[in-house]
Amino acid sequence: MSLALELTDLRHRFGDLVALDGISFGVGEGEIVGLVGRNGAGKTTTMRAIMGILRPDRGAVRWLGHEVGEGDRMRFGYMPEERGLYAQMALRHQVAYFARLHGLEREAALAAADGWLDRLGLSGRADERLVALSHGNQQRVQLAVALVHEPRLLVLDEPFAGLDPEAVDSLSEVLRERALAGAAILFSSHQLELVERICRRVVIVDAGRILAAGTLRELRVRFPAQLRVRVDTDEDWASALPGVTVAGVDEEGVLLVVDPGVDPQTVLRAAQARGPVDHFAFETGGLLELYRRMVSG
Amino acid sequence: MSGWVAVRLIAGREIAERLQGRVIRVMTLLTALLVIAGVTIPGLISGSSAPTRIGLVGTPAQALAPSLRRIAQAARVRVSTSDFADDAAARRALAGGRLDAALIAGPSSARIESEQGISASVRAVIGSALDGAHLRSELALAGIPLTKVLPALTPVPVTVAELHPKAPDQAARDVAAVAAALLMYVSLAMYGGAVATGVAQEKTSRTAEVLLAAVRPRQLLTGKVLGIGATALGQLGIAAVAGLIANAVVHSARIPGSVIALIPAFLVCFLAGFLLFAFALAAAGALVARQEEVQMVTTPIMVLLVIGYVLVYPAVSSPNAGWVRVVSFLPPMTPMLMPARIALGHLAWWELPLSALIMAASVYGMVRLASRVYANALIHGGPRLGWRAALAIR
Repeated sequence: MSLALELTDLRHRFGDLVALDGISFGVGEGEIVGLVGRNGAGKTTTMRAIMGILRPDRGAVRWLGHEVGEGDRMRFGYMPEERGLYAQMALRHQVAYFARLHGLEREAALAAADGWLDRLGLSGRADERLVALSHGNQQRVQLAVALVHEPRLLVLDEPFAGLDPEAVDSLSEVLRERALAGAAILFSSHQLELVERICRRVVIVDAGRILAAGTLRELRVRFPAQLRVRVDTDEDWASALPGVTVAGVDEEGVLLVVDPGVDPQTVLRAAQARGPVDHFAFETGGLLELYRRMVSG
Repeated sequence: MSGWVAVRLIAGREIAERLQGRVIRVMTLLTALLVIAGVTIPGLISGSSAPTRIGLVGTPAQALAPSLRRIAQAARVRVSTSDFADDAAARRALAGGRLDAALIAGPSSARIESEQGISASVRAVIGSALDGAHLRSELALAGIPLTKVLPALTPVPVTVAELHPKAPDQAARDVAAVAAALLMYVSLAMYGGAVATGVAQEKTSRTAEVLLAAVRPRQLLTGKVLGIGATALGQLGIAAVAGLIANAVVHSARIPGSVIALIPAFLVCFLAGFLLFAFALAAAGALVARQEEVQMVTTPIMVLLVIGYVLVYPAVSSPNAGWVRVVSFLPPMTPMLMPARIALGHLAWWELPLSALIMAASVYGMVRLASRVYANALIHGGPRLGWRAALAIR
């Protein structure tokens, strides 16, 4: 897949604080990429650099192979972490206003605003002022503002924060749909099970640096595999095997950390030599597990 | 999308937001009413400059009527005379308010009666007429023909030469210069705060970050200032038109053509001044962390505005003073003091172009500075920023 958005060696400091320390990754057309990391890791600064709100000290942000220009940003959609819209403005006019700032004509902007408010379940309230809405509904309007001009790149900072489960599902649905339509999507989240469910690729950042990036499968390979084996024996049969470490023993059997290059078949044979084996499987750690291992290691 | 389309959209939103509120309608109505009152009330009160009505009681007094009117005209005092047969009739007219003074003249003395006294100038006019009549009758009694003493009675001719004559409409020009400064002051006092508050609102509500993803800070600020400026100008325009119509009805003041000719130059000063101050206020608004801090950060700028306004009065009375010439070139003071100097008309040929150049450069510089402060301060969370910090952050 060719990369639509490409970040190269972004570096930025706020005084003594290093916010970005060589961030490089990309998002392809039709791809959903999750940006994961603890608070202060550099997620928001990265997103602001993409949107041109902050000019990084060094590094480049490219779109379809060229340096991002004003015209490109017209086709970007952004939902900042700290939400904010005009409290006293009616929803319909508010969403249409942002559509027009992104280059839509008046009539098209109003039609698009109606369409998105309808899609996000706010059609009956289009003439109400933002301030009259609940927090969750205000969030939907914020999303409508990010989506109304059908952006080619969507940058969403914590879009799922504060949403109820139904809204989470509907937002996930919208993101998948936009990706299918060819949009490149980058979003950050602390809800890792969500990231795992929606994203094809994940970028894990910490202290302004990328800890790991890739598909979940690619990330797993970077860590020694964990093998769970249950053998009907009380003896320690595994710790003497070369390249194998016992990570834990419980009623589910033993959990073994197997170095890359060790043939699992030799482990299986060693186990069978002690008794009947009723469980032999690699533990596929979820993103949460991987993330924990990465940021702690 | 070109930059101006975004500016127009932003300005349009500002205007729409302001017109939505009920406050603006009430304020516009109130301002217009105040101006109408300001124009008409002096016109109604100036009824007191009507001629002083003098009742002449008896033949000797009535004989004074022609000389009374002649002397009054020479002294630019307005009087009218009417004849009364006796004291009682004159007193009734005084009590009824149909008369301001009654003159009862005898062969060697006279009495002026009035309800509440008369002005010193009317007293002098009557005195002069009486003295003239007395002199003539005494000369006649002494048998001296009037023709003999006429040269002695002829006043010594005095010519008044004005070495630096003021233009005949100078007073009107001065009033126009003060009015231009007042307009500037009022519009910024009323709307400058709206610029700062609007910016602070977008910052504290975090709307600015969504906006900045689509438009540049310069477009955002320019649209805001132009939108709010247009609202201000519209509101003041309505008040001005109301004032002119009221003036046409009550004929309170005559506006000389030469003053109307000054309006374009004053308007340029006003626009430049409004832009300069409004952009400075916008930058100040971007510094705050909470809405309540707006007043605090805008105060130094407003103080500068007040200083400029206060200086207009001495500047109008001596527009050629050295300090006025110097200070009128300082950008924050130019919009207040230049109109006073233009009104007097004693400007060297190079002064206006130079001043316009300095002003244009300052407005441009202020737009850039404000945009930088805005962009820096908006993504800066936390407590209120100082100017230096806002300019330094990247």
